Amino acid sequence: KTNPADPRGSGGSARACSPPCRRCRFSPVSYEEAHAPHYIAHRKGWLSAHTGNLDGEAHAAERTVEDVFLRKFMLGTFPGCLADHVVLKRRANQLDICALVLRQLPAHKFYFLVGYSETLLSHFYKCPVRLHLQTVPAKVVYKYL
Amino acid sequence: MAARAASGAVSRRLWQGLGNLSTSNSKSSTTKNAVFLLSTGVKWAQFSHLHIDFPKEVTKPAITVSDEPDTLYKRLSILVKAHDKAVLDSYEFFAVLAAKELGISIKVHEPPRKIERLTLLKSVHIFKKHRVQYEMRTLYRCLELERLTGCTANVYLEYIQRNLPEGVAMEVTKTQLQPLPEHIREPIWEKEVKDKEESKA
Repeated sequence: KTNPADPRGSGGSARACSPPCRRCRFSPVSYEEAHAPHYIAHRKGWLSAHTGNLDGEAHAAERTVEDVFLRKFMLGTFPGCLADHVVLKRRANQLDICALVLRQLPAHKFYFLVGYSETLLSHFYKCPVRLHLQTVPAKVVYKYL
Repeated sequence: MAARAASGAVSRRLWQGLGNLSTSNSKSSTTKNAVFLLSTGVKWAQFSHLHIDFPKEVTKPAITVSDEPDTLYKRLSILVKAHDKAVLDSYEFFAVLAAKELGISIKVHEPPRKIERLTLLKSVHIFKKHRVQYEMRTLYRCLELERLTGCTANVYLEYIQRNLPEGVAMEVTKTQLQPLPEHIREPIWEKEVKDKEESKA
């Protein structure tokens, strides 16, 4: 659902008022991006679930580096298709990557990319990696800024 | 005739290529086509490896019977750590339900949480007065099981650990009951008194 105040679609003038009032704001922002980090555990969840940051547990840095690489990899493998941040879940040895995807590519290309990324990442990290995709018609907008 | 033979050969080759399928050799060409389509549909779904987990044939472990007495545990203390209280609550509900189904006496208490705080500089260069504070909260839940046998403990722990949610850690402390070693069953001074009596007699 596009914002009617968006000047890009209608070809109208940039901003009617400055700073833009509530109805003239047009940059869409998702729920994750709209909330500041101090809302984590109150209004937000976690994008990466692992035990490295718990008290008395080790290997937090390794998990963080893996996370950074996985997010870059997902951004590159599904160009322009990711609707929201990728959620990473680690349970024992397994790694589950959950992503919200836009319907930009035909289905057979998605299937290939899923198989390709699963095999490549499994061989790279030496652990079972599973990719869970959910397709969404458009980015889910929480509010306009 | 030739067409039927050709289609038969094609379908047979495809079946061999796809794998062993127990399909009956149908005589008419229409039913053969239907079977061929059905087989390709099923096999295509299997090859795509998308959210379809066909369980591999796992041989179930046979029940072992041994003469050795089973290990006995006085107490099994399971400490579960997580960042999220809601996850811990639901896991505790699940663990307590599992224990009650197996008939294990269980008590749950919540040790106080630990918060690790860091104060870092907000900027890459200078601006010493402006800092950023981060904290990592670890919430705990302690499940205490009393009076267990080794087999029960192994089964319960395996079930609990296979269903551990992501981002949750577990520490298990087992307190085992063992019979007293033979050389300290009786006090030494009694043994000395017995030896003296025997030597006198």
